[in-house]
Amino acid sequence: MRRGHGHEHRQPRAFNRLWHQEMADEINDDLSTGMFPQVKKKPAKTVRHESRRGRILSTILVIVLCALLGFGYATQLRNSQSSYATLSEDELVRLLDETSTQIDSLEQQKTQLSEQLKSIKSAADKQKEVERIAKENEESSGILSGRLAAQGKGVVITVGQRESHIPASMMFTLIEELRNAGAEAMEFNGVRVVTSTAFVDTQSGVSCDGRSLTPPYTIKVIGDPSALQNAVQIAGGVGSQLRVKHGAAVSVVQSDSVQIDAVRQPSDYKYAKTVE
Amino acid sequence: MPAIIGLIVGVVVGIFIKPDVPVALQPYLPIMVVAAIDALLGSARAYFERSFSDRVFVISFLSNVVTAALLVFLGDQLGVGSQLTTAVIVVLGIRIFSNVSAIRRFIFRG
Repeated sequence: MRRGHGHEHRQPRAFNRLWHQEMADEINDDLSTGMFPQVKKKPAKTVRHESRRGRILSTILVIVLCALLGFGYATQLRNSQSSYATLSEDELVRLLDETSTQIDSLEQQKTQLSEQLKSIKSAADKQKEVERIAKENEESSGILSGRLAAQGKGVVITVGQRESHIPASMMFTLIEELRNAGAEAMEFNGVRVVTSTAFVDTQSGVSCDGRSLTPPYTIKVIGDPSALQNAVQIAGGVGSQLRVKHGAAVSVVQSDSVQIDAVRQPSDYKYAKTVE
Repeated sequence: MPAIIGLIVGVVVGIFIKPDVPVALQPYLPIMVVAAIDALLGSARAYFERSFSDRVFVISFLSNVVTAALLVFLGDQLGVGSQLTTAVIVVLGIRIFSNVSAIRRFIFRG
């Protein structure tokens, strides 16, 4: 009986023990020991229902803050391009070196250029002076060489041929006398008298520079009127020679305005060159 | 969306107005900008995590900017301004990187 009882009791006891063991295992297997705290996942946040005004306000705040950020970014972007504050010392030294080298080279260039400017200026002054002298020379030599028409005080001499033919040498003497008296420009019957003017005896009379002259001869002379008149009319001078030897009628008229319009093209010089 | 609109508006206004930065503010502006970018990226991360809050964003933005500027100001006072600037930039840079990588994980589900 006891045994039987024992047998009957054994099974529930084993069952009990198993059950107890299981319980104990469950407690032992619990992971929440403090050593390994179980992290519980946050529950999904419930969206708070704010008031309409609050939401609009916060949205505006977000916009304003983001706008501030963008504004600051743009400002800094523009600002940092010209700022040396962010450069390191080495970079600054290098920059300084470069700048001073540049300054040196620019100074050098400036000196060079100002020297050039000075020389060009003086050259320009010289050029101007040369031009002025050239212009003066051109005028005086233009009158001298018969390239320009001339006008001024002087005399008009008329030689009327009556009996005998007046030879070329007489004409030449007359011209020479006038030159000696300081004639500056002369015109002989429409022919400008220059240094190369020549009188040649021809069958019909006298020719001057290839143009035959016909009496009466009119000679316009620019110069000191009284000196020129004296040169012709002086006793025993060319005027009286003409009258006596050739029976010519010589008249000398002083004038305040003698116009010499006859001009002569300058000849091209083949051998003579100007001296620089 | 309002954040993007605000950014665009701010950049456009900054480009067109061309303001002159006052000398006193010059060393702090770049730091403040970086701090603000950090705050913006943090809020973008929060948005992807579905835990975005306007209030938190505004406060974190302002506190970030102010803290960064104050740190640099303090550094200037102590004579270690440039070093502290570097430190702040480094920290903010790390945070920006981590925020960006978090956002990237949310977008690509890596």
